[in-house]
Amino acid sequence: MNAEERDLQIHPIVPENVIANSKTIVDLHSLSSSLLGIAAGILGLESYTGFLFYLLGTLFVSFLIITFPMGGKPDVYVRGGLKDVVLADVTGGVMGYVLTWTLFFGLVRV
Amino acid sequence: MAQVVGQQILRDPALFYWILFPITIVMILTGVLRHYATLLLQSAPKPLEYKAIREQKNYLHGINVRGNANQIPLSSFTTRKNYLVAAFQAGNFLKDPDAQGKPPANPMTDPNGMDQMMNMMKGNMMMIVPQTVIMGWINAFFSGFVIMKLPFPLTIRFKSMLQSGVMTKDMDVRWVSSLSWYFLCLFGLRSVFTFILGNDNAADQTMAQVQQMNPQQNTQQLFGPGQDPAKMYLAEAENLEVMVQHEFVLDGIEDRILATV
Repeated sequence: MNAEERDLQIHPIVPENVIANSKTIVDLHSLSSSLLGIAAGILGLESYTGFLFYLLGTLFVSFLIITFPMGGKPDVYVRGGLKDVVLADVTGGVMGYVLTWTLFFGLVRV
Repeated sequence: MAQVVGQQILRDPALFYWILFPITIVMILTGVLRHYATLLLQSAPKPLEYKAIREQKNYLHGINVRGNANQIPLSSFTTRKNYLVAAFQAGNFLKDPDAQGKPPANPMTDPNGMDQMMNMMKGNMMMIVPQTVIMGWINAFFSGFVIMKLPFPLTIRFKSMLQSGVMTKDMDVRWVSSLSWYFLCLFGLRSVFTFILGNDNAADQTMAQVQQMNPQQNTQQLFGPGQDPAKMYLAEAENLEVMVQHEFVLDGIEDRILATV
């Protein structure tokens, strides 16, 4: 048994906890991406500015998730560490963002 | 003619009230309806007879002993291993030991397999029927209206899809018809459903497709139709037997604890 396997035996990974944690992260991301879409639509951002806004917003939300609920130690809560917090359910987040962005852009600007 | 930069179109604001909002509300309500209909249509899994349960649980016992072998001392593990291997090889836990060696039953005639297939069919119907109906509804009532402007540019390729029913050659691709709003709702409403119905909702079709890819996870049947339990038991006995490496997880625990203080 090599060192990595032994470490996994001493600190086992419980799949239920991993699933619950990633669900919490995905929830936060989908809520925040919808809200970001509303903000972008009201601000009237177009094309690249809008996607850049989403990128910055998601990074900011990930930063908040890592700092406050996780206490700055993402490796304790998700397996992939930082990467899994930022990239959790990107496609779903972008879809929700585009939906609310388009809706509020249409409602406010056009 | 080249596209005019910043094309402006004057639209009746009533388009929003009579097209955009109805489509959105209908999409959301359909998702909610689909969620509850799926819950209602799911037949509760039939309770198995006790011999079938015994067969499954003992098989799981073997897997768990193998997976968590390092959590128990070597002597305990050896005792369990010897007992399980002997019982597995003798076929003590089989549902009907006489069926050994016979060809597996046809999954079409197995009532459990039929149940599973019916559930999958119901799930598929719940996806296909509302989608077809709503798309037909939108095509019948709302085709030909330009309702909104996308905040991002798209290539000309999307024109035929997003402006279906609008016969204007030079219009910017960013102006889209009602059908494209339907598609946006189709893909983007998952976050909305998460707020309304909670995380494990059945309202969204993308999630359902993922679940259909691996249906074994949420069925309580361990032995799928067409698999021979006797062979699986023999394989599991062999797996247990060849497991020679065993390292108790509490070995050296004193040093590890002392290292942390």
